Amino acid sequence: MKWSQFFNTSIGKKLLVGATGFFLCSFVLVHLAGNLQLLYKDGGKAFNTYAQFMGHNSLIQFLAWGLKIVIVLHAFVALQLTISNRAARPVKYQVNPGNQTSSWFSRQMAIMGSILLIFIVVHLAQLWAPFHYSDMPTQSYEGVSEPIKDLYSVTYALFQNPLWVVLYVVGMAALSFHLIHGFKSAFQTFGLNHSKYNGLINFIGLWLFGIAIPVAFAAIPVVIYLNK
Amino acid sequence: MLNAKIPAGPLNTKWEDYKGHCKLVNPANKRNLEIIVIGTGLAGASAAASLGELGYKVKAFCFQDSPRRAHSIAAQGGINAAKNYQNDGDSVYRLFYDTVKGGDYRAREANVHRLAEVSGNIIDQCVAQGVPFAREYGGLLSNRSFGGTQVQRTFYAAGQTGQQLLLGAYSALERQVALGNVTMYSRHEMLDIVKIDGKARGIIARNLITGQLERHFGHAVLICSGGYGNVFFLSTNAMGSNVTAAWKATQNGAYFANPCFTQIHPTCIPVSGDHQSKLTLMSESLRNDGRIWVPKKKDDNRKASDIPEEERDYYLERRYPAFGNLVPRDVASRAAKERCDAGYGVGTSKQAVYLDFAAAIERYGSIEANKRQMHGVSKEEIIKLGKEVVAEKYGNLFDMYAKITGENPYETPMRIYPAVHYTMGGLWVDYELQTTVPGLYSLGEANFSDHGANRLGASALMQGLADGYFVLPYTIGNYLADEIRVKAIPTDHPAFAEAESKVRDRIAKLMSIKGTKSVDFFHKKLGKIMWDKCGMARNEQGLKEAIEEIKALRAEFYKDVRIPGDENEFNPELEKAGRVADFLELGELMCIDALNRRESCGGHFREESQTEEGEAKRDDENFSYVAAWEYKGPSDYVLHKEELVFEEVKPTQRSYK
Amino acid sequence: MEHYNMNLTLKVWRQKNKNDQGRFETLQAKNISSEMSFLEMFDVVNEELINEGKEPIAFDHDCREGICGMCSMHINGRAHGPWDGTTTCQLHMRAFKDGDTITVEPWRAGAFPVLKDLTVDRSAFDRIIEAGGYVSVNTGNAQDANNIPVEKHKADLAFAAAACIGCGACVAACKNSSAMLFVSAKVSQLALLPQGQPEKRTRALNMVAQMDKEGFGSCTNTGACEAECPKEISLTNIARLNREFINAGFTTEK
Repeated sequence: MKWSQFFNTSIGKKLLVGATGFFLCSFVLVHLAGNLQLLYKDGGKAFNTYAQFMGHNSLIQFLAWGLKIVIVLHAFVALQLTISNRAARPVKYQVNPGNQTSSWFSRQMAIMGSILLIFIVVHLAQLWAPFHYSDMPTQSYEGVSEPIKDLYSVTYALFQNPLWVVLYVVGMAALSFHLIHGFKSAFQTFGLNHSKYNGLINFIGLWLFGIAIPVAFAAIPVVIYLNK
Repeated sequence: MLNAKIPAGPLNTKWEDYKGHCKLVNPANKRNLEIIVIGTGLAGASAAASLGELGYKVKAFCFQDSPRRAHSIAAQGGINAAKNYQNDGDSVYRLFYDTVKGGDYRAREANVHRLAEVSGNIIDQCVAQGVPFAREYGGLLSNRSFGGTQVQRTFYAAGQTGQQLLLGAYSALERQVALGNVTMYSRHEMLDIVKIDGKARGIIARNLITGQLERHFGHAVLICSGGYGNVFFLSTNAMGSNVTAAWKATQNGAYFANPCFTQIHPTCIPVSGDHQSKLTLMSESLRNDGRIWVPKKKDDNRKASDIPEEERDYYLERRYPAFGNLVPRDVASRAAKERCDAGYGVGTSKQAVYLDFAAAIERYGSIEANKRQMHGVSKEEIIKLGKEVVAEKYGNLFDMYAKITGENPYETPMRIYPAVHYTMGGLWVDYELQTTVPGLYSLGEANFSDHGANRLGASALMQGLADGYFVLPYTIGNYLADEIRVKAIPTDHPAFAEAESKVRDRIAKLMSIKGTKSVDFFHKKLGKIMWDKCGMARNEQGLKEAIEEIKALRAEFYKDVRIPGDENEFNPELEKAGRVADFLELGELMCIDALNRRESCGGHFREESQTEEGEAKRDDENFSYVAAWEYKGPSDYVLHKEELVFEEVKPTQRSYK
Repeated sequence: MEHYNMNLTLKVWRQKNKNDQGRFETLQAKNISSEMSFLEMFDVVNEELINEGKEPIAFDHDCREGICGMCSMHINGRAHGPWDGTTTCQLHMRAFKDGDTITVEPWRAGAFPVLKDLTVDRSAFDRIIEAGGYVSVNTGNAQDANNIPVEKHKADLAFAAAACIGCGACVAACKNSSAMLFVSAKVSQLALLPQGQPEKRTRALNMVAQMDKEGFGSCTNTGACEAECPKEISLTNIARLNREFINAGFTTEK
């Protein structure tokens, strides 16, 4: 089977979704580590120098563009699968089993993914695009040779608006629901299902990626808003 | 006298000699020879696959939606083979001997010996296909015991051996479909044989979805359509199991042999009410460990657990100490009927006996505790361990029992009662499995050949696969070698047109009755007549009455049956009507045969012919023959006899004491 | 077990043939015994319909002991009804109570077109098996059965996978109409056994390709198939199929 055929099969496509999903999980972890610096009460020094580094290191920039491609690929292939999955049942059931036979999370991947995608677009438009493509107030710090863009203050300003806080919390709820199923599902897609390790995988999927990470992300706007 | 064409020579070299001397068809000619296979159970699927592998052009037909659904799939306990892996004294001869004896000396020695010879190859073939038989920790195959034998020669896959064997044959069949050697016609029912110049040359089949009649040519036709136990309405057969294909063969000149030889299986779940549509078997393998008993007191209404050990009658162990609970099926069934008729039955209907695992659970629990080096454990602990072992051995059967009855068989003994299970009779075939119509063959349960008057457990799977994998692929060449000059006959030949119009008329006749009663109404009535008068015990008067009752019922059927819907569409009622119409003829023939055979043998018990202890009494002087009936018209049959010659085994009164 | 009788309202899908639109019909089932199987309840309803001169409901069934895989009904939103690990024919009316309304639909999947009422065409499964669900061993080619020892644990796993009855409940239960559980059961059975090794790569690739071609959806690991499978085939088989498929895709040369 040629590669082109392989990745056109249902399992091949799912492998793409799973592999890109794993990459995105690792990104989420790194991104959270960086963002938590927003909560340091240091006038934004740690966060802004971090942002400066991330924004100007060429390897990071290369990865960042790769990340966007991965997101698009993940969404595109998943959308393709979703469309064909819907088409596989032209006449629907009148009575559905609901949560009796499968978890609610596992059935909402496309919806949660779509909410996340919208969130990501808004998020990029609000913080990433201005940082890279427009003038932003700068800030000087001791030990930093020149003034750097003050993304920290921009972020704080953004989350004074409760509407955005809510949007970010909703976005993170979607992330949570997406990953509660998505993380362990990707392991299954890669064929990694083993009674000795399933417990660990499920634990990490639920508690780290499904709960801890989204809650920590969501905490940032909430804390900023409450501390105004 | 019928000639079975048994090769000359000593019994144990007949098959070798035959194979060495039969005619062969070269590969180029095989491509031009077409073979029709009716039915895709173990016999049909294995034959179709093997013939496809040899290069013949095969067309296989089944009425189900997929060949994998044939009722062989429901066989539970296992398949016998003379492998002697257990080093317990088994051999080809012993398997042969057990089968002839188990069949109460009414089977043909040469066929049975051949069956025993190829039995080992079947296991090899199935394992090579990936059939997941049960294994021991060392990775080798496991065996268990079955009724009527004293060695462990039964190979099994939990309680789903038939399923696994059929799926093996089905996968081989599908491989041939993929390779283009076999064309599969699912949801098709064969409704007539086409004969040209006295030879079987094709069939008329109905596409069950569209209702269209189709003509199919074949140089030979194989009937592998299973048994006719559904003539009793209630049986362990599938709802669709029927005699139609075999009956059309009969109507076209193939003789029907020993129709009265029916196997009543001792361990089935009892009838629960009038709504009952079929009966469910609890595998004979359960008799390895379960003990059968009834209360010693008549009409004892206490719960099983309240009846103390000394007030229980383990009647099989009492009557047959040598074989105990593992006596052959006919013996076990009659013994259960005897107890129930005498008023010792249990359950609300009083038509049941107990199959009890309490002792086995305790025994296995102790063994398990020893294995795990657990000492001084409580009885509860032992019972818990024992239940786990029993669950591993028979879990699926226990679950099935619980679903059907709503009772937990781990806690209370199962209630069981005999039910119609298998039919030893069938189309008469010679040594080559050919019927009395040239080019028309019959394999598996559809033929009569190997089980005599009673089949031993785990031998049906063996016979179906032996016929399909290892016997017919050789013997059919002997016939087809002379057919290589016969070009495929176009299906516009007048014989096809005539057969098709006959089928069309028959369907039109059924559809035009427009009576008031459903097909099932008649089927149930027929079943009741058969069960009451041609069931576990038969007598002259009852059989004579049954014949008249069936005739009357048949007349009523043709006056008053109601078949809704249309013939040119998917119409399950029409399918059933056709099958019941055939059962209404077969049932009568069964009674005629039972009436004719004034002896008891195996599953055929004539009350007039029994020993003082109530055991079946054969009459070898007058009835050591196969009764093959020629169809001349409804109620008009001519008896032909095939004398049974026993060179190796001397018929004696069967004893399992 | 207490026996009882009940009256039920049935909402049953009626469809004359493949081309008909189909609709629900409401029927009354009276005096149904708790001892009946679900299909025996249908027998009673059909008998009634025939007596009234109406067409009975067409449904697939054969062995009625849970092994042939022919029966197929979506009952109150559940493939094979409310009991776990049970086919429709083994579902008993004890599962319902007097006055219940039961909605019965055919398997719904593009790859399983409705033929009539509750009867669907599952021949897609046969074609998937044709694509590689076998060991290529002609009759007569086999060596002695005990020449191939198989680790008991693996033999047991192979058997558990081979227990699939091909009923299609996995497809019916899956929100994507995916046939992965069915395909994985056969691929697993043969991948676990030494006999299946020579063809393991082509088998996985070809069976998956055929599955896609038939129009089944893809697996999103919701687990509904496993929950509804009457033979309780495990999701670990799907993981094994994925491994087999990845391995084959990455290593076959053609």
